[in-house]
Amino acid sequence: MIIRGGIVYDPANGIFGEEIDLCIDRGRIVEDAKGEEIDAHDLLVMAGGVDAHSHIAGAKVNAGRIMRPDDARLGMEQATAVCRPSTGYTVPNCYAIGYRYAHLGYTTAFEAATPILESRHTHEELEEIPIIDKGALTLFGSNWEVMQCVRENDLKKLAAYVAWGLRASKGYGVKIVNPGGGEAWGFGANVKGIYDPVPNFDVTPAEIMKSLAQVNESLRLPHSIHVHFNNLGKPGNYTTAIESLDLFKDIKPSRMRQVVHVAHMQFSAYGGTSWKDFKSEAPAIADYFNKNHFCTMDIGQILFGSATTMTADAPLEYGNAHLLHTKWSNHDIELEESSGVVPLVYLRKNPVNAIQWAIGMELALLTKDPWNVILTTDHPNGSPFVNYPEVVSLLMSKVKRQEELSNIHELASKRTTLTGIEREMDWCDIAIMTRAAPAKILGLEDKGHLGVGADADVAVYDLRPEEVDPSTQHDLVKKALAVAKYTIKGGVLASRDGEIMAAPVGRTFWVDASVAKEDEERMMEDLKEKFDRYYSIKLSNYMVQDAYVPNPVVIKAGALPVEEVAP
Amino acid sequence: MRTITLRPLRAFEVSVEAETISPSRFASLTLGQIRTQEVFMGNWKMKLADLFKVEGDEPLATPEETTIVLEGDFSKVKRIGEGMGAGTLEVRGNVGMRAGSGMKGGLMMIRGNADDWLGREMSGGKIVVEENAGNYIGSGYRGEKYGMRGGEIEIGGSAGAYLGEHMCAGTIRVKGDTGDFPGAVNQGGTIFIGGDTYLPGAEMTKGSIMVRGKATMLPSYQKAEVVTLEGIQYQKYVGDLVENGKGELYVATNSA
Amino acid sequence: MSGQEMKTRVEEDVLCSFCGCLCDDLVVEIEGNKVKNVRHACRLGASKLMGHERIRTPMIRKNGKLEEVSYQEAYDRAAQILVNAKRPLLYGWASTVCEAQKKGILLTEMVGGILDSTATVCHGPSILGIEERGLSGATLGQIKNRADLIVFWGCNPAEAHPKHGLRYSTNVCGFFTPEGRKGRKVLVVDVRQTRTAKNADKFIMIATGSDFEVLSALRMFVAGKGEFVPEKVGGVPKEELFEAADMMKAAKFGAFFFGLGITHSRGRSKNVGNALALIAELNAHTKFVVMPMRGHYNVAGIGQVAAWETGFPMSIDFSRGTAYFNPGETAACDVLSREDTDAVMVVASDPASNFPRGIVENLAKVPVIQIDPYENPTTLLAEVVIPSAIAGVECEGTAYRMDGLALRMKKLVNSPHPSDEGVLNGIIESVKKLRGTEAEAKAPNEASA
Repeated sequence: MIIRGGIVYDPANGIFGEEIDLCIDRGRIVEDAKGEEIDAHDLLVMAGGVDAHSHIAGAKVNAGRIMRPDDARLGMEQATAVCRPSTGYTVPNCYAIGYRYAHLGYTTAFEAATPILESRHTHEELEEIPIIDKGALTLFGSNWEVMQCVRENDLKKLAAYVAWGLRASKGYGVKIVNPGGGEAWGFGANVKGIYDPVPNFDVTPAEIMKSLAQVNESLRLPHSIHVHFNNLGKPGNYTTAIESLDLFKDIKPSRMRQVVHVAHMQFSAYGGTSWKDFKSEAPAIADYFNKNHFCTMDIGQILFGSATTMTADAPLEYGNAHLLHTKWSNHDIELEESSGVVPLVYLRKNPVNAIQWAIGMELALLTKDPWNVILTTDHPNGSPFVNYPEVVSLLMSKVKRQEELSNIHELASKRTTLTGIEREMDWCDIAIMTRAAPAKILGLEDKGHLGVGADADVAVYDLRPEEVDPSTQHDLVKKALAVAKYTIKGGVLASRDGEIMAAPVGRTFWVDASVAKEDEERMMEDLKEKFDRYYSIKLSNYMVQDAYVPNPVVIKAGALPVEEVAP
Repeated sequence: MRTITLRPLRAFEVSVEAETISPSRFASLTLGQIRTQEVFMGNWKMKLADLFKVEGDEPLATPEETTIVLEGDFSKVKRIGEGMGAGTLEVRGNVGMRAGSGMKGGLMMIRGNADDWLGREMSGGKIVVEENAGNYIGSGYRGEKYGMRGGEIEIGGSAGAYLGEHMCAGTIRVKGDTGDFPGAVNQGGTIFIGGDTYLPGAEMTKGSIMVRGKATMLPSYQKAEVVTLEGIQYQKYVGDLVENGKGELYVATNSA
Repeated sequence: MSGQEMKTRVEEDVLCSFCGCLCDDLVVEIEGNKVKNVRHACRLGASKLMGHERIRTPMIRKNGKLEEVSYQEAYDRAAQILVNAKRPLLYGWASTVCEAQKKGILLTEMVGGILDSTATVCHGPSILGIEERGLSGATLGQIKNRADLIVFWGCNPAEAHPKHGLRYSTNVCGFFTPEGRKGRKVLVVDVRQTRTAKNADKFIMIATGSDFEVLSALRMFVAGKGEFVPEKVGGVPKEELFEAADMMKAAKFGAFFFGLGITHSRGRSKNVGNALALIAELNAHTKFVVMPMRGHYNVAGIGQVAAWETGFPMSIDFSRGTAYFNPGETAACDVLSREDTDAVMVVASDPASNFPRGIVENLAKVPVIQIDPYENPTTLLAEVVIPSAIAGVECEGTAYRMDGLALRMKKLVNSPHPSDEGVLNGIIESVKKLRGTEAEAKAPNEASA
């Protein structure tokens, strides 16, 4: 396959809007190829989009579906010769997730949080999502064995457990959500800050985060730790964010990437002392990211309209449900985590929502290097992923932002700096924020770029970058990004002008990290006791069997030589 | 005034979905076009004329000036008058589920019985049922916060359970009894029940329910004053207190 | 028999395919190709794994009599019935594995039918309650390790879920509950004194059908509004309900289990919604979780699988090419009682025994296809009978425990029969053949072999 004449933005390879023919063979970008030709003359061409943080599979996503038939009926689409029926808007069914990412020109998405115990379920759903490649980040932040290793200050044993946990869950990286809080929630409590000890476990969130970051690097995992901070969603929490970030300053990355990725920063960039004097502290956060390069973030933009919030931060969800007096699902996972789901609607005239919206924009625009700040809506917490084109068109147009600011609660202008921000992103910034940087942050070497050897995941948009001025023609930008002209996944034309042409099976990335045998044996003694006494199932029934990941890409990590193996 | 009459050609083995039967849709269509409108019998996609005899006036009219008359048994025909905004729909017999759901305006006259989800999520217009109506009249969709948002429903006979569930505005009047839980989770609107009922106003926060007959009461209502309305004495209650509700529930005192 | 076949082996950590407890600690002795003994299981589970008289071959009813046919003939006949039907119902799914359930959903989409599970006659109202309220839940291990109060409402685990108390709730020792039963209180609410009630610290007997009012009264006490509650609710004196509410608020971690006593008494889904609201409100005072006591071992699974595949957990109508959901309109009982279906496929279930009589009479009026390892009263109505392997004994696959935890069922012995998944694949192929081209039959996202 050859994609002819497109205007290619491939920032990872130093290509900024050049007319290039892309050649594809056996699912990869190659020097030269024959066969089907796709006419992309003058059109915008980028690598397939990569979503590094999205809630697309697993128990809490399905809990969202089960409690929201009202949402399911919003996205009803017919079956076609290729497609199964679609449902849902904020919590689409598995098929809709694959089709809709493909329509956006996205070809990879990572589930942001799976408890080890419930990873079998997560993989059952991931496997049903068509077209895109995927992976899942494994939760470790309130895990009893993690806390035991931290308390004993036995980082080698902790490394053995993290490696084992990734294997057991067929997970891709270390996710930490409200560290310690998931355990405290077991008795309906929470931790209040990073130095507030976890009840009954005699460790602090700070110790948990720092230890996991060290272990993450000792295992040389492709991705850094991926953290949802304590106090998320609360006024004044930016100090918790900065305090937490300072923990990782001295840790050396084991790969060419950050040592910590901060999830949905918008929800942790809040000033004020209550909802009454709630304000943005995004400039302070952006300033931190401009001065320090060991950390990256995704914005977690909110958009006005319907959302379904879902997170392993269960106390936060209880707080949401209590405040909004709305339906609430909670799910605690023995020895490991907790989680919650609450549907909500973000309103333009609500001062808090308006300020939240502006904070996301500020973070993206004030952080100078787009490699450090990537685009997400924390799907479906801030908004469903189908609305990414709205976010992009806002980032590219001050005109559009001012229009929106004039429509929403006036406090968005008063309590944030957004009105004064002139910056308008260009296609290079967007290509970085939506594909190149997320791939680099995740450590996916063959994703997010179009160099020879890369996965043949390509998006062609019906937009002529040399003719369209995104600043004034933001509606054209939004329209073109919402429905890719062509989305090619692994060399297969998956979507054309909003129609699914083929639904190839995607692959699942997971990480197999090796550790010293003696460390593993020591760790297994702990685990044996935990299974004998505390878990409700047997150790032998715990690990996710190979049958649940029939199309794996196993990334090797750990002490042994690192090599990628794709069986 | 344009009148169009539909008669079923036979008894239907399985239910038919015919949301196209609405003055708002027929108004701008010729009889020939109406006959080719899409309907479903189960999973069989068919034309309206495959299932119904369609007769009437040929000249086009506005929806307001359009009347549809349904003659015969429509009890297995669902979604009649869905989303209708104006005009008249007269059913000379029974009608199937979800009639008048999402209705915004106009009049639906049902001479016989109506099935479940009549006027689901309706926001305007009027529905009159001369005989009995089923469950979930004027309610919302599963999992949805809001049911009926406006308009009127009048039922000459009795109604089933969950009458006006999640209702936020509008009026429902039932001459006879209702099933369990009328006005559950109500946030507004008015329900009048001529006969007896069971556990009215469960989890209601706003709105009012009047019961002329007997009512089995919830233990979560606060007794208020006795009031006289249209010459009849009612005991007023306020609740549902489990939801900090300020709904008003009136039960006739002579029935207790 | 040769010596090889008679060799005895022992399988450990086997999952039980009886109830929603999905116990995974069974030890099974296998002699040759036969389950000889089952240890650590309850009586119900052991009997399920030991098996009983099976359907031996596929059958088609000819002139009123079931006659033996080949699998292919049975698939073709089943496909023909489904393809010709205007509104086929594909029902059951609770006692088979998720792999089969997925194929069932695909088949239902292909033939434009309605898919419903046995939840419709057990915890369907719970799902409707969850749609109103959400559910504050936990895995069973969380309850084992923390709960100092167990509430059983309208359920009788002593008889229906015999190992529940020993493994997960009343009697088990855990991290914060080292004393087991001694460190816990048990509160039972029911309309009669069950065996479970006899072992309770407190038993409240309520009048039949008064669950909603009693739950409302408890919510009033929890919210501190007891003054408005009448002297007696559901036949129970006010003080007794006040004590119960106090007991719940005083717990450090409470777990509320409910069963068909709530979901199938007057009020149904509203009862469940009220219970879920009570639990949510208790969380303002302490920690409380709630869980439906699921019956069949994988009835939770069909809800999960259907939700991720279609967006809805049960009662899904594909007749117009989209997925539509509205129990009351699209549930198995609804379409059967209204004579709104013209063919029924029953998989791993027995509606002829479990449905009300009027509905069974309607079932008898339409062609019925049965897929099941065992003969049951539904067989007597069936026009096509297709025997399958027993999931969790003769073939492996996924099942979801009552708390939503997915586990993998084991294959212990070989079967002469194909799995449910295999049978469904056979019918799917026959449907494609009947439809002419494979392209016309919707190609699924064929992920796994």
